[in-house]
Amino acid sequence: MARESRPLDATPRAASADPVSNFRRSLLLQTPGSQRRPQGLSASGRKNAPPTATPHARAAFRTIDSRRAAIFTPHRARRKSVREARDSPRDLLLGLGRVLAKKTEPIVTSSSSPGDTPNHNPSDDDDSHETTLGPLHMSYDDDDEADIPKRPRLSLPIDRDDDSGSDDLVPHRSMLLDNEDNFTMQSVEMPRRAYSEGPGGRLSLNSTRMSDFFNANDMLHSEDFGRESGMFPPINVVEEEGTFTMADIMSPERIEDGRRETGHESDFGIHVPVDLDDQTSFVINPDVQSSPVRQPPDFDEPDFAPLEDARSDSYDGGDGMDNHNFDDFGDLPDAEMDDEEPDNTLNETTRMTAGNVTETEVLTHAQRAELRAAAAARKKRINISKHGIQYPSLPAGVVKRLAQNFAKTSGAKGRITPDAMNAIMQASEWFFEQLGEDLEAYSKHAGRNTINESDVITLMRRYVFSFVLIVQSMQRQINPQTTPFALASRHLPRELLQDLRMPPPVLSKKRRKASEGAVPAGEEDESVT
Amino acid sequence: MPGQKLYPRATVKKIVKAHSNCSVSKNADVMIFLDYMLFMQDLVKEASIEAKKGGERGITARSVKKVTADSLAKFKG
Repeated sequence: MARESRPLDATPRAASADPVSNFRRSLLLQTPGSQRRPQGLSASGRKNAPPTATPHARAAFRTIDSRRAAIFTPHRARRKSVREARDSPRDLLLGLGRVLAKKTEPIVTSSSSPGDTPNHNPSDDDDSHETTLGPLHMSYDDDDEADIPKRPRLSLPIDRDDDSGSDDLVPHRSMLLDNEDNFTMQSVEMPRRAYSEGPGGRLSLNSTRMSDFFNANDMLHSEDFGRESGMFPPINVVEEEGTFTMADIMSPERIEDGRRETGHESDFGIHVPVDLDDQTSFVINPDVQSSPVRQPPDFDEPDFAPLEDARSDSYDGGDGMDNHNFDDFGDLPDAEMDDEEPDNTLNETTRMTAGNVTETEVLTHAQRAELRAAAAARKKRINISKHGIQYPSLPAGVVKRLAQNFAKTSGAKGRITPDAMNAIMQASEWFFEQLGEDLEAYSKHAGRNTINESDVITLMRRYVFSFVLIVQSMQRQINPQTTPFALASRHLPRELLQDLRMPPPVLSKKRRKASEGAVPAGEEDESVT
Repeated sequence: MPGQKLYPRATVKKIVKAHSNCSVSKNADVMIFLDYMLFMQDLVKEASIEAKKGGERGITARSVKKVTADSLAKFKG
């Protein structure tokens, strides 16, 4: 309606408000804001208002005009001129406001008096007639079509919902958002670490470690690096009765590791305590443990779980096949349940692995031997560090023994479920990664290419200093009172202690009081090595 | 553990070597393993606390995973 009236406006300019709008539009085109203001005021508001409107309407005009004036003040022009310089979303929001202002409805304020203005244009439509502010509507709408930067909407639309055109608004708004997304996205900051502990802070932290990621997603990520250290199954929480019952039996048996498996001892030797522990601990229901763990390799990487495979296979070798078959049968439902709980996406893979298990039942003994060999090969899985160097993983038996000892001392009963073992192995994998990088940084900093005891001591001192509470709770590690030597003698067997040549405690005390950082590393270099 | 080595020294050395790209001096691995033991102690202790909190009967994978990050952060150099 208002738009239709626009062409008509041109002719009857003198009497009505509509010509005003046209006039003002041309002004807008020509001039920056300052000139516009008085004319706009006089033209739109006062010309019409004084003769006709009630005092109330006049007041309304005044307020509107003042707002308009505020909008078109030189401030705005100035802002425009600087606009390119700013990249902040604030500008964009301003722009958004400007554009949306175009679409806003003319003001039919509640404050406008109901009284009609007699000198309305005949071309004006229904609702604009009702208010004294009718002419204003017209002008706004005209501006709309002319694509001139418009004044924003000043109040809520009350009367006219029809022509405001929600259909008009929607596409534009979305378009705006789309355009702005790019910029705002650029200006959004991602979370960072504090600078002090950030990668830039120290050499040792220059790279992102795998140990910084603990999520399943990240672990999956780590596949890309060919590192299997990060490859433990993200979610493989197996908490079955089977494991627990076995765990109950585990603790007495573990004590007698050597005695029970006397025949095997020579095989296991000193370096491979893995099988020892596991065999003894899995006597009753061995495959309940082994088979669920065997699945992770299938969906993560085929090479993955050397540990558990080794267990189950060695178990097979030790005992008959009957138990194995029986347990495999018992296992199948368990296995599926276990994996379906954590995530359903892996269902297919679990079925596949279940199929594998059934296959293995059917296998002959010779085939089993082959499998065993393959598993043994798999056990020597290739870990590749970030430097591209292969390294073995710490034998699970060692880790398990440690963990069980500490679990006993820390109050737990020393039962560690196999999946917990997996998690612990993973943690220690990460630990060594972190440790290696830290030690590298320390030794490089000292100008060496060799990692010394001093580096390790520096490392230990560093974290111990930063966690005083732990120092207290954990029977005091390295601090002025307890030396690394005391710590070592508490934890290490004598033959290893002999290899450790520690500085005498008094000296180290002084040193520690004197300094804390990398300096003692240098000093201890001399004394230790 | 009578008659048993506490840990395979060569393996530890290899691991650290691979990660650090540095050679490891003759007996540094002892200290390294000591460090590792402290880490394990911390990890297991935290995990058992976590397990007790969660009402689990023993140390489980969940509890271990939950505390792994913290323990690692503690032992970061």
